[in-house]
Amino acid sequence: MAKKLGKKARKFAKKNLQSVMKRKRKLNSMFKKKSTPRRGNTDSLEDSKKLKHVQQVQEDPKGLIAEADVFSHHLGDIFNEQEEDLVEDVSESDGYLSEDSECPYISGSEDENCSEEKRDSVLLQEPNREIHEELANQKSKLDELCVKDPKFSEFLESRRSDLHKSRSEEIYSDEEDASSMDEDSIQENRTSNGCKVLTSSTVDVWCWLVMEQPNASVLTNVINGFRAACHYGVGSDEVSPQKIADREVFSKILTFILHEADDIFRRLMGISGSLNKDNILKVTNKSEWKTMRPLIKSFLRSSLFLLNQESDSQILMFVLSRLRSSIMFFAAFPSLAKKLIKISVHLWATGDESLSACSFLVIRDIASKFPSDYLDICLTKTYGAFIANCKFMESASSKHIEFLENSIVEIYSLDIQRSYQKVFFSVQQLASILKQALKTKKKDELKMIHSWQYINCISIWVKFVCCNFKNYDTQPLLFLIIGVLRGVAHLFPGPRYLPLRFKCVKMLNHLSLSCGVFIPVASMLFDCLEHKGNINADRSQQKQIDLSLSLKVPKHLLKSRGFQEASILLAIQLLSEHFSQWCYHVSFPELATIPLILLKRFYESTTLESLRRPVKRLMDQVQQNSDFIQRKRDEASFSPKDEPSVDSFLQLEKCNKSASFSRFYASIQQTSISQKAAN
Amino acid sequence: MGKKKKVILPPDLPVIGDDEIQVSDEDLEFIGRNREYAGFLTRLDTKSIDRHVTRVADHKEDELESLYEKRNRKASLLRLKEEEDKLHVDPVDALPVKTLDGKLEYRTADKLKSGDRTSENKSKDDEEDAGGLKLTKPEKRQKLKKSRKEAKKLAKEQEKENIGEEEKGNIGEGKLHTEVLAKVEEDLSSEELFRKKKIRLAEIGLQLLENPEENIKALKELLQICDDEDHNIVKLGLMSLLAVFKDIIPGYRIRLPTEKETEMTVSKAVRQQRFYESTLLRSYKEYLTKLIALEKQPSVHQVAVRCLCSLLDAVSHFNFRQSVLVSVVKNISSLDDTIRKLCCEAIRSLFLNEGKHGGEATLEAVRLIADQVKFHQCQLHPDSIDVFLSLMFDEDIGKSEAVEEEVRPKKKRNWRAQDGLKEVQTSDRKKNKQEIMTKTREEVSADFKAVSFAPDSRERKRMQSETLSAVFETYFRILKHSMDPSTSRSHPLLAPSLNGLGKFSHFIDLDFMGDLLRCLKKLAGHSNHNVSSTGTCLSVSERLQCCIVAFRVMRNNLDALNVDLQDFFIHLYNLLLEYRPDRDHGEVLAEALKTMLWEGKQHDMQRAAAFIKRLATFSLSHGSAEAMAALVTLKHLLQKNSKCRNLLENDAGGGSLAGLVSKYQPDATDPNLSGALASVLWELSLLMKHYNPSISTMATSISTMASMDPAHSQVFLSTASPLEAFTDSSLEQELLKTTGKPTPSSYKRRREIGNDFVIMDPYKMGNENVVDEDEVRRKLEDHFVVHKGIAENERLRRELNYTLSSISLFEDYKREKRHKKKGKR
Repeated sequence: MAKKLGKKARKFAKKNLQSVMKRKRKLNSMFKKKSTPRRGNTDSLEDSKKLKHVQQVQEDPKGLIAEADVFSHHLGDIFNEQEEDLVEDVSESDGYLSEDSECPYISGSEDENCSEEKRDSVLLQEPNREIHEELANQKSKLDELCVKDPKFSEFLESRRSDLHKSRSEEIYSDEEDASSMDEDSIQENRTSNGCKVLTSSTVDVWCWLVMEQPNASVLTNVINGFRAACHYGVGSDEVSPQKIADREVFSKILTFILHEADDIFRRLMGISGSLNKDNILKVTNKSEWKTMRPLIKSFLRSSLFLLNQESDSQILMFVLSRLRSSIMFFAAFPSLAKKLIKISVHLWATGDESLSACSFLVIRDIASKFPSDYLDICLTKTYGAFIANCKFMESASSKHIEFLENSIVEIYSLDIQRSYQKVFFSVQQLASILKQALKTKKKDELKMIHSWQYINCISIWVKFVCCNFKNYDTQPLLFLIIGVLRGVAHLFPGPRYLPLRFKCVKMLNHLSLSCGVFIPVASMLFDCLEHKGNINADRSQQKQIDLSLSLKVPKHLLKSRGFQEASILLAIQLLSEHFSQWCYHVSFPELATIPLILLKRFYESTTLESLRRPVKRLMDQVQQNSDFIQRKRDEASFSPKDEPSVDSFLQLEKCNKSASFSRFYASIQQTSISQKAAN
Repeated sequence: MGKKKKVILPPDLPVIGDDEIQVSDEDLEFIGRNREYAGFLTRLDTKSIDRHVTRVADHKEDELESLYEKRNRKASLLRLKEEEDKLHVDPVDALPVKTLDGKLEYRTADKLKSGDRTSENKSKDDEEDAGGLKLTKPEKRQKLKKSRKEAKKLAKEQEKENIGEEEKGNIGEGKLHTEVLAKVEEDLSSEELFRKKKIRLAEIGLQLLENPEENIKALKELLQICDDEDHNIVKLGLMSLLAVFKDIIPGYRIRLPTEKETEMTVSKAVRQQRFYESTLLRSYKEYLTKLIALEKQPSVHQVAVRCLCSLLDAVSHFNFRQSVLVSVVKNISSLDDTIRKLCCEAIRSLFLNEGKHGGEATLEAVRLIADQVKFHQCQLHPDSIDVFLSLMFDEDIGKSEAVEEEVRPKKKRNWRAQDGLKEVQTSDRKKNKQEIMTKTREEVSADFKAVSFAPDSRERKRMQSETLSAVFETYFRILKHSMDPSTSRSHPLLAPSLNGLGKFSHFIDLDFMGDLLRCLKKLAGHSNHNVSSTGTCLSVSERLQCCIVAFRVMRNNLDALNVDLQDFFIHLYNLLLEYRPDRDHGEVLAEALKTMLWEGKQHDMQRAAAFIKRLATFSLSHGSAEAMAALVTLKHLLQKNSKCRNLLENDAGGGSLAGLVSKYQPDATDPNLSGALASVLWELSLLMKHYNPSISTMATSISTMASMDPAHSQVFLSTASPLEAFTDSSLEQELLKTTGKPTPSSYKRRREIGNDFVIMDPYKMGNENVVDEDEVRRKLEDHFVVHKGIAENERLRRELNYTLSSISLFEDYKREKRHKKKGKR
């Protein structure tokens, strides 16, 4: 009865007596100031700090104010939840979330606490031991002094408060430096005089209880234990109400909760099947939600805290993947969801391969399952993180960057209606940078374009257009991107920038293939056929040059044979890619005319046998295909203007890929892939 | 009116009368001697006095006279003294403020001077009553420049009489100043010295500008300053001399008197004028030699060149132009960008402002540049030849003269006829009088011609033709040099000279035409691929330019003859293959297409067809801009040659038109032998898929031309030239087009949101998430241990600190105890 009354009174106060609550808090703080001098410094602290006094009052035996009196009756599990409810509601506007701040134990666990008082002795590490010895020495000294002069001990007592004060200040400053999430730990700083030690057997019993008889009260304790574990080691250990006894307990409670929490929550709330953004509303309207909400919130908060603290990718992956299964609960807590986005974007951008993939799945889930505001956040955050992380391209990072690119494309492709504006704006931005550079040709501006950041950004949008061209009308975007790519290639002529140019050509080929438009790239490749290296360069400095990892060739390699070979081979590859797209088109012979003449000229002039062979092979194949088309179209009766007939020309062969050129291109692709693998 | 003025002006306004001037002279000398004593005068409020003076100057003459009469009595001696003194001291006062840039100081000087002048003139008015001469000095100077010599001399004499006495004092003061300077000089730090020198420079400059006739000797001092060791001073000196010379050099050329003339007795005025002119000329010469000498010193090189250039620009009519020109031309292809630009600008302005020097300088400059080119064997900066493009040749010189000749007698006749009518009425005396009048008129006009700088048209024509021949000589020299196989170096001058040839092609003499065309043909044929045979290689742009020039030349001169330039077509046909978008200039290509194919008449169907085919193929491998230019040309060709439209149809019977070659040879080098008529323009079908919408629509429109009624085809004649098409679809334009167009995406087929992966492998992604839980458990335990250690460490440290501070408190405690004890006692 008393419980109920208290509950009602609390509710009433919460709803209707906002001013009373405020006054109460104020009074409390004043009262505290008087009654406990060691907290005298706290009145300068902010609102959030005041809050904790509200709670402290409740267990303070001297807190005899009317409202506090009501509270003091209710030291129980329910109260805890109530308390949390209140705190949360009050503080949510601040973005400050409080959790179960006090932890009165249910009888069962407290018994166990008493019985198992064997603290496992953690081996003190070397530096710790030294300090320990030092401490012992000093302590004995102090004791001696006290014994000598008993009055001193009195004096010391009188001064102790000052010392404490300075001590607590120390703590505050420490904790404010740490992440904001452990602010709440301060609350428990002084509330728990007797701390409860979690032991292995306690946890075992709890786990068993939770699994066997799903009941919120036990769960609260487990969640609190989980919380304590998550916050372990960030300075709040000594002040948290629950002590983790040993490492076994630590890992057990973490893995158990992470593993089972989602199931438990679902079971308790009677949710079956998957959650999505439509039925999450239904869930939050359920009656069980009220009791479960603080628990779920505490769980999510603690997990996020753990994510922030941890650095090991395996643990992070585990936490992330578990959080992913209960991702829909985040939808009920917007501030937590935003935090989750922030953390996972960070992990996605900087983590290793599997962690990055894991985080990406979380982001994607949020972007696709949550309301569309979250999608916008994800779009901006991922793109921003990508830009910040793609400044350098090395063989190690290239794969990661490619993954990041792909995941951005995935996320942006989730809802084209929403993302298209962003994409278009971004490409326009790239185009305006380019325009400026074309106009002024200043060194800084050129440098900005001639950077991996710029190229990788284009690459993302190229992929984006390629993926979505079939389903959406992205014609203007396509046109703009092609303009940007051609502009970049045009801005950097000369053999030094051949790698950059090859990149542009490659992207153009890609666009052309997926969008089915004709983009002439042949002229962009002719240059390198005429670049004459020093054939007689000594063979000693022959090095395999990987053109895919550079945008500019260092000067000393410019004349080297290795560079010439690499560039010609890459040019052949790109040219055959271009040809293979149109090798069934009726005008293939014309398309090949000029390149063929130039290739022939190159073939006659070059003396490098390593280049002559592939060039000759390409020439033969092109010629062969040319003759093939020529033969076929001599039989045809339509004219160039007859578009449908042109489109249907050799379609059957195209589907079968029966022309020899297709086979040739496939083989070229094969070799390039195997070469890459070898590197 | 006069009364009104009187009310406004302060009653005791200082007025300078004739008798007072005499006093002032004495005073001046007095002040000159006793500078310290007169020092207080410098502190007088010059501004207000100035205002008074100028106010007086505003009055009209008669008013002034009346004012004088009234005020002469009132004017006190002392005030006059102040007035006079102020006028001399003032420039010194103004010195720290003024910088070396001429305009500002000029103005202040003028103001002062105008005050000076008015007072001077007032007295003059009283004495001589010659109101017509009452002008402020700068006005006068300006007028003098324009007016005839005699008039000027007269004016100067008068002026000299006016100012002479006053200036003496001025010079005396200057001398004194230098003396003082010399004394103090030793004590001054170098910085102060620099400042002093600067001030001195400004002072002299101001004096010179104020009254060049009197202070002409100061030029010498200025020149001496230019010998200073400090480069900055030298620079400043050179610049101030430049400003001075620009200002005081008269608008005519100075002719020094011959010996005979000097022997003759002349008036004082003439002697003075002669002295002035000879001094000016001598100092100018000295200045120039100094400049030319300094021009070789790297530290003052730029300043010297700048001075020379502005001299050339400003006083191109004056003596010693030749030497200025020589040194400017010498620097015209300097490696230093700023110097080169300065010189080129100077030469350009010389060409553009021929009126200043009558064209002589143009001829000289062109000849000098030609020599320069010859001397350096065509290895100069392109800018040096580019200046020729600013040359202006007047085709109508001869014509207008001829017309005039024709018109004049007519007029005379008319006049005579009128005379005849009048003759009846007028007497012989009158007739005589009229004859005399006409005679004098003719004489005067002849004199005027002789004096004025505009040479008669015959002379101008001669000069122009000489200039032209020098220009063309240079151009041909460069062409010849480019052809010379023995010089395999680059040809920096070829491009500008081809430009020039294109521009002036209508002036080329017919005799040269054959040679020129042969040259161009040969040059256009030079290619990279037969380097070994010819030893030279020209860029594609240059070769295209050769073709363009050849066509221009032919069109401008032999339009009627219609010579077929087959060779150039062959070159163009092959050059299309050589063209590289980023290496060569697209504009030149478009220009070539325009002049050779778009504008020209195509009678040869074979050739037209070959070009149509080649352009279509060309547009398949090049960017939008080039493709657009090619397609515009192609369309134009198809429009003009209706038979070529057969290319648009896949007609088995096309062979009937094929002529000699029945099968298309894409790699033929001769358009006539390519057999293009037998081909089909399949390219269009691929171009229809072009990403650029304007190209794809163009291709579509071309492909439908075959069905067009030939009669209607003229209506659709596109107006855009290949060059315009090129610039319209250049990269910049392409980027511009799409900006600022917020395009909502209209989707073709909506995909279920967020269900499947677009680019990634879903299977792979699914497998990424396997986590080894035991591993995690172990790691968590490690994590715990580490944190526990850290926490323990922190705790221990805190404890330790606490204990330590407790111990230290013991000291406090002891102190307090002692204190208490003391207090008790």
